[in-house]
Amino acid sequence: MGQEAADLRRELRQLVNDNVPEQFLGAFTENPADLETAQRFCRTLAQRKLLCLAWPAEFGGGGASVWEQTVVREEMWAHHEPRGAQYMGVNWVGPVIMRHGTEEQQRKHLPPIARGEVIWCQGFSEPEAGSDLASLRTAARRDGDGWLVSGQKIWTSYATMAQWCFLLARTSKGEKKQQGLTIFLVSMDDRAIQVRPIRCMMGPHHLNEVFFDDLRVTEADVLGTVDQGWSIVQDVMSFERVGIARYARCERLLSTAPAVLGDRWDDLPAELRSRWVRMLTHCRRARLLAYRVVELQSSGRIAPGDAAAYRIAVTKLDQDSAEVLMDIAAEVSHEDPRAEWFLGEVEDHWRYSQASTVSSGSIEMQRILLSRALLAAAK
Amino acid sequence: MILDLGDDAKEYGRQALRAFEVTGGDQLVQQAEARPDLRESLAGPVLSELGAWELDPRADADGLEAAAALCRSAGYWALPYPVAERLAKPSDLDVDGLIIVADNRPSGVVVGLDSDWATVSLGGTRSRVIGQGATGPGFVAELELSGIDDHGAGDVALGLVLPCWTLLGMLDRAMELTIVHVGLRKQFGQPLSSFQGVQFQLTDAEVERSGVEILAKYALWSIGANRPEALDDALALRMAAIEAAEIVFRVCHQLHGAVGFCDETTLSWLSRYSQPLRRLPLGLSATRDELTHRVGGTGLTGLFS
Repeated sequence: MGQEAADLRRELRQLVNDNVPEQFLGAFTENPADLETAQRFCRTLAQRKLLCLAWPAEFGGGGASVWEQTVVREEMWAHHEPRGAQYMGVNWVGPVIMRHGTEEQQRKHLPPIARGEVIWCQGFSEPEAGSDLASLRTAARRDGDGWLVSGQKIWTSYATMAQWCFLLARTSKGEKKQQGLTIFLVSMDDRAIQVRPIRCMMGPHHLNEVFFDDLRVTEADVLGTVDQGWSIVQDVMSFERVGIARYARCERLLSTAPAVLGDRWDDLPAELRSRWVRMLTHCRRARLLAYRVVELQSSGRIAPGDAAAYRIAVTKLDQDSAEVLMDIAAEVSHEDPRAEWFLGEVEDHWRYSQASTVSSGSIEMQRILLSRALLAAAK
Repeated sequence: MILDLGDDAKEYGRQALRAFEVTGGDQLVQQAEARPDLRESLAGPVLSELGAWELDPRADADGLEAAAALCRSAGYWALPYPVAERLAKPSDLDVDGLIIVADNRPSGVVVGLDSDWATVSLGGTRSRVIGQGATGPGFVAELELSGIDDHGAGDVALGLVLPCWTLLGMLDRAMELTIVHVGLRKQFGQPLSSFQGVQFQLTDAEVERSGVEILAKYALWSIGANRPEALDDALALRMAAIEAAEIVFRVCHQLHGAVGFCDETTLSWLSRYSQPLRRLPLGLSATRDELTHRVGGTGLTGLFS
């Protein structure tokens, strides 16, 4: 990855060490101090020009290499994403606004993201439109010089704390369902929007329902072209092609396990230690597959199926490693010095991992993409 | 680390694929099975023409990558010749090749060949092959050994990794054949490939195959860079490759249906001739045990170690 990437990794680890409590399990726990930690950490990163490191210099970023971006992804996820929900603004909301937004939208939205001050949520999924996103029903109907948006979104992460929503709604009925969709950038501070948290196993502030009841939006809120929102959705997908570096957290926890157990590591059942080694190998496999995707994407040679094999491998790794870690955790004694930390981490990892094959593009969708690519290559 | 082979190595691999095809392709292994004593004459000339024995995988990255590419191409055609073992020959012994052996029933795919072989155990004990004992399928013979020394530890990683490249070539081919088959074979009026149950099996196999490919490149790089953990990386690759082979061949057989077991179908040959690569010197459990024992609580080199 090069020396710059290695230096960056060291710097990020030091910053996490200095600014994030060891017991931090993400920004979305019952403890409001965790959200404060994340918000503070984002500002710290921003002050050091590390929050938007990957952004082009013209938008206040560091113009970092793809490998430095990869390091940021790995280190943040390995340490429970101390940027909290803001990773979305940095990773794809900002970049998509750079590509499709008007100058006014860029002036309005990019600086707050770069300063680490704003949380976005993504208004995509609906009760009847999950993997089949283009079937969504939330509608924006013409009203004077704007639209009135009505409908329901679901599984909307961070909606209770978000100031802005990246909203996909139907503005017309096209020949194909992918036509007639429009992206709106809407403030969540509006009485026409209601957010209802959905309690779930990942934590209290993760999933929400969002209801839109005649939310007024204008031309100024439209990102890109009316009825052409699907192409922006494709861009969002491409920015998120590599996605969360799940392998980094798996590897961190697996690598830490022997130190937690100390001398008792060798007393673990041999079969469990074997499964542990197998998971470390799968971590390496997923990491290298991710690097391959990064390389292909940066050289413009990536095809739709290229990322899918990685996504399948890494989401399965997340769940498989969680099972192994839970079995290791069962062997931890409370006398082990870092027992409490490890048990908390592993239990959190297991709960989180249950969603990894569902969220951000289900494993079935990845299999469809990959099988299409395999079969097309044979023709 | 490397995420892909260099252009020269890839081109060499493509040339080898074409050369093996012209020489007989799928017929080679079938002819060799009928007459193992013809193995040398069937495969030796084309390998010489390709300059295989001028390759030095120990000299530099180019030689190492070319050797890997050649092994992969040999696997693609199930070439009935121990290319990887020949390429792994130690630089300080006057032998034709090197076979990594287990302590129990040391064996190699040497039936029908007159070459001079050395062996090395995973612990580094080197021996000379002085005779062949009981034989089994896939040109496997038990080896009678005469000890040389205990200085072979440095040869083990290369001797493990190159055969994994051969196995990778077999997985490439098995997937290729299966993808073509499900596109042609119709049931209920439509190609098998139109059924999601079929598509998803293919993708699971492809994830395994592509995982072996990326780990094979990593292990190769680890050897070329003289990293102290090169043997751990080789064992990790071997473990993943054996696991993947089990999944890939099971899927490919299932999707081929009954025709996949027939000798008229290449998959049948690939599948059975993958067995020595998957079982020797150690099968899956023994490979995993060896790796687990070696890495102790340190684990594999990665982001956090």
